[in-house]
Amino acid sequence: MTNAIEVDNLSKHFHTPKAKKLFLAKQKSFEQNATKRDVIRAVDNVSFHVVKGEIFGLLGPNGAGKTTTIRMLTGVLKPTAGKITILGRDFLKNRIVIQQIIGNVPEMANAYLDLSGFQNLELIGELYGVKKTERIKQAEYLLKKFGIFESRNLKAKKYSKGMRQRLLLCMALMSNPKVLFLDEPTSGLDVQSSIIIKNLIREYHKTGMTIVLTTHNMDVANELCDRIGIINKGKLVGLDTPENLLKLMQEYLALDVSFENNYINEKEMIILPYVKKISKIGKKYRIIVSSLNDGLCDIVEYAKSNNLKIDKINTYEPHLQDVFIQIINVGGV
Amino acid sequence: MQEFISDSPTSLITQLKRSFAIMKKDLRIYYNKGPVIIQGILFPVMLFFAFTIGRNIAPVYIISGLMAMVLFLTSTSIGPVVFPWETRQMTLERLITCPVSIKTILLGNLWSSLVFGCVFSTIPLILGMILFFEFQMNYFLIIMGIIIAALAFSSFSLILSVPPTDMPANTMILTILVKFPIIFISPLFMPVSFAPLAIVSPLTYFIDIINIGLGIESSFGYLGFFFDFIILMVFSLLSLFAAFFLHEKTITRRFS
Repeated sequence: MTNAIEVDNLSKHFHTPKAKKLFLAKQKSFEQNATKRDVIRAVDNVSFHVVKGEIFGLLGPNGAGKTTTIRMLTGVLKPTAGKITILGRDFLKNRIVIQQIIGNVPEMANAYLDLSGFQNLELIGELYGVKKTERIKQAEYLLKKFGIFESRNLKAKKYSKGMRQRLLLCMALMSNPKVLFLDEPTSGLDVQSSIIIKNLIREYHKTGMTIVLTTHNMDVANELCDRIGIINKGKLVGLDTPENLLKLMQEYLALDVSFENNYINEKEMIILPYVKKISKIGKKYRIIVSSLNDGLCDIVEYAKSNNLKIDKINTYEPHLQDVFIQIINVGGV
Repeated sequence: MQEFISDSPTSLITQLKRSFAIMKKDLRIYYNKGPVIIQGILFPVMLFFAFTIGRNIAPVYIISGLMAMVLFLTSTSIGPVVFPWETRQMTLERLITCPVSIKTILLGNLWSSLVFGCVFSTIPLILGMILFFEFQMNYFLIIMGIIIAALAFSSFSLILSVPPTDMPANTMILTILVKFPIIFISPLFMPVSFAPLAIVSPLTYFIDIINIGLGIESSFGYLGFFFDFIILMVFSLLSLFAAFFLHEKTITRRFS
């Protein structure tokens, strides 16, 4: 498997006004004179790779450094340190050549509101050097595919948020990019638009396109991504497939059981083979098990043999959200 | 995946072509607006009559002075606000991730300012020709003068958009602070020798070209027009390279 993107020790530091003053005063070593507080480490020594053809998600809370990372990967910001290689070429040395083969939907970017949807696509086509006949064909194809062909001659300012997001995706796809960057592609969209965009991302992924997306939405990450990098306070604190990340949280496999007489002997139950931990939450017991099926059998057997009547039983499996919270709180797995 | 891009993205020709795409976009968005066009027409017409009626100014100085003022004010009117406006509208980030250099984006802004300035600076000339029709005009010199001066003033306007702000009003203040002193020291509606600081102003050399084109001798001697062109060309190049250099420095601060 070859890598589409390699990111090595990528950092982006922003300087506070005090730090800027020190810098402007031409002090011998800025880093020595500026205190930790003076430098905001938006992205700090982040390294990862994205395999060709995969959907890679950068997941993190607001302000974690996802957008700054994407902005460096697309050439909006220059890194303070580190190296970015995209499709085998050093991005910082070949920015324009690489930008030619990547598409991008920035989180906060907008289409030109005073241009129509079609004019926006034409402009982007021209900026990517798409020939005129192909440009028109491709623009019409994308507008139809994304369901905004009927509004192609309307100014973009008359589009709804969902339509604008679809237009931005069309703009990113005008040049048939090999790598697509999507910064919060479904953020702030209604359910229908969100589903349309997720389906389109899946469809383009099937064509072999490498997709890097950022999101703070666990469901989006879980549904779409082959691998997920969890970023917090500028650092990459977790990186794996969603399945493997969930495996790290096996201790979160649990059964929530309530008994009719509301009492069990915890000491007896804890020695059952698949039961790991028992805690009482209100009227129910949360029983952490090593396997849901076997744990369930154990408990049913235990109830039978002790003449206990089970009132209610629910299984509880870990979600990506639990992994995320665990990683963010602990700082890594 | 279908490939339909043939050009090498970094070649000079490709980047130049892409700068024309940016020019078209700027003309559509910022210049092709009713109020902008009406102002572009009304402003020179009003000024023309204001300086013609009841004033004892030689027609040639009215025309050259007005052309200089209109060309300078129109070609520097929109250029300084495009960058802050696009930063605010969040379209600049989209543009910057396209395979174009900052220089290409700036050149696109430059071409649109140049076209806008050239078109509207001809209004005083046309009015002058209709009302006075007494000139032996050197059309070639006048057209070349308009183009080179529009290039100089448009390049200069790019420097005014360097501060990394997303508030167009901020650059407007800077623009007013810089533009009006230049107009005040220029020899508008008078011979160049009457304005002591005139040689400092780029408008002076454009006025001199138009004066020559309308049949008056150059204020800078026999090869005065040649001198005027050289000065305007040097001013254009210096402004353009200063704008390239300064924008490269400040562009990322717009997104920090």
